[in-house]
Amino acid sequence: MGYDLFLGCVIPARLPYLEVSSRKIFEKLGIELHDVDGFSCCPDPTGIEQIDHKTWLTLGARNLSLCNSNGGIISFCSGCVETLKGVNYSLNKDNEAKKEVNDYLSKVGKAYEGKVEVKHFAQVLYENLDKVKDSVEKPLEGFKVAVHYGCHYLRPSEIIEWDDPFEPVTLDGIVKNLGAESIDYDLKMECCGNPVEKSDKDLSLQMIDNKLKAIKESGANCVVVVCPACYQQFEFNQRELNKKNNSEYDFPIFYLSELIALSFGFMPDELGFKFHRIKPSKLFESISFTV
Amino acid sequence: MSVINFEFRNEVLKHNASLSYCYQCSTCSGGCPIALITNGKYNPRKIIEEAILGLKDKLVESQDPNPWLCSTCQKCVELCPQKVELTEIFTLIKNRCFESHKYPEAFYLQGHSVFENGIAIPYSNAIVARRKTLGLPEIKTAPIEEIKTLMKETNFEKNILEGNK
Repeated sequence: MGYDLFLGCVIPARLPYLEVSSRKIFEKLGIELHDVDGFSCCPDPTGIEQIDHKTWLTLGARNLSLCNSNGGIISFCSGCVETLKGVNYSLNKDNEAKKEVNDYLSKVGKAYEGKVEVKHFAQVLYENLDKVKDSVEKPLEGFKVAVHYGCHYLRPSEIIEWDDPFEPVTLDGIVKNLGAESIDYDLKMECCGNPVEKSDKDLSLQMIDNKLKAIKESGANCVVVVCPACYQQFEFNQRELNKKNNSEYDFPIFYLSELIALSFGFMPDELGFKFHRIKPSKLFESISFTV
Repeated sequence: MSVINFEFRNEVLKHNASLSYCYQCSTCSGGCPIALITNGKYNPRKIIEEAILGLKDKLVESQDPNPWLCSTCQKCVELCPQKVELTEIFTLIKNRCFESHKYPEAFYLQGHSVFENGIAIPYSNAIVARRKTLGLPEIKTAPIEEIKTLMKETNFEKNILEGNK
């Protein structure tokens, strides 16, 4: 059993500290993740797919063709999951496209069969919620978490086939089982705005500003995300917005794996928390969470 | 003046037949976060209307509304009572914009990086060192020639190189 690990681009090449906590919690849970040589970009469903659908299908199918673990593919990134699930979905319902893609792949000695299951890491965690709960050594008391699901973790639901597209429960469920509180807030289901940055930076900033405003009003003291694009949008733009608008955003942004790792008793030092732009240490002090 | 381009309309329909189900109720625009913050300047219903009418010059040449503003949040797809796969249709429109070299530079940069490196973000020396410090394994990504061969086959190479103006 076990899963083939699809890392994608953003986490390993820009935010490797998020990979650390993700690997550690799966190891602790006894769920095997296998590294695979030779993956390319998934490719990005908000980038490459938008400029060339055929290339997106072909490179996605090539990635899927490299997988041989029984559990299929697991990824820490919602974008990679959407692409790999989306490629499966498109090619399995369209024989003509599947044949065309396989013609391309034959040029490099690969073949797409369409039998590899793809899962988001949070899905696997939710499916193992009892194990997660049993591994909590330090309940996250005082953590008032604004859960941000993000779009591609849920939608299009016909392709993702996981959780409800508008009233999801899985991430809140995991967070609560760590001993933290999930705080409801306005605009919880709205997009973070990251993909629009490629076309219109101001619009993208406005979207994240609206979300942060709503989170501030809710009384939450941190945010949890499951997608590296959302992570960057929340983490990298707070200071910029503060400069621009005199706002005072100061929310530590956690990857779900980081919160879980903390509750499992891992130390901030070994999780690379020093690489966060908004240091979580201030929050730990304010809620007397001893690490 | 806009001219109806039947060929383009048929191309969209062939790519995604759900286009013909649209009855212009505007549920998509009502739920669209970009339509909301642009006061309707970005308007998914209108893009679909122009696709039904085959107004290629509006969609690809003048880009009014601008399809690149879609955040791909997929809310419209979930909300549509007629199950029109709007974002799939927007993808085709943006693909045609790409072929006409009318697209934001960030998309070019990503496309170019994947063509040159096989991945969107190449590993810098600093990141390789940081991965080591963090105890993470070395990543062996796709052989670049293999990715280039595939991207030549799909015509991506031609479009991305021509777009470099």
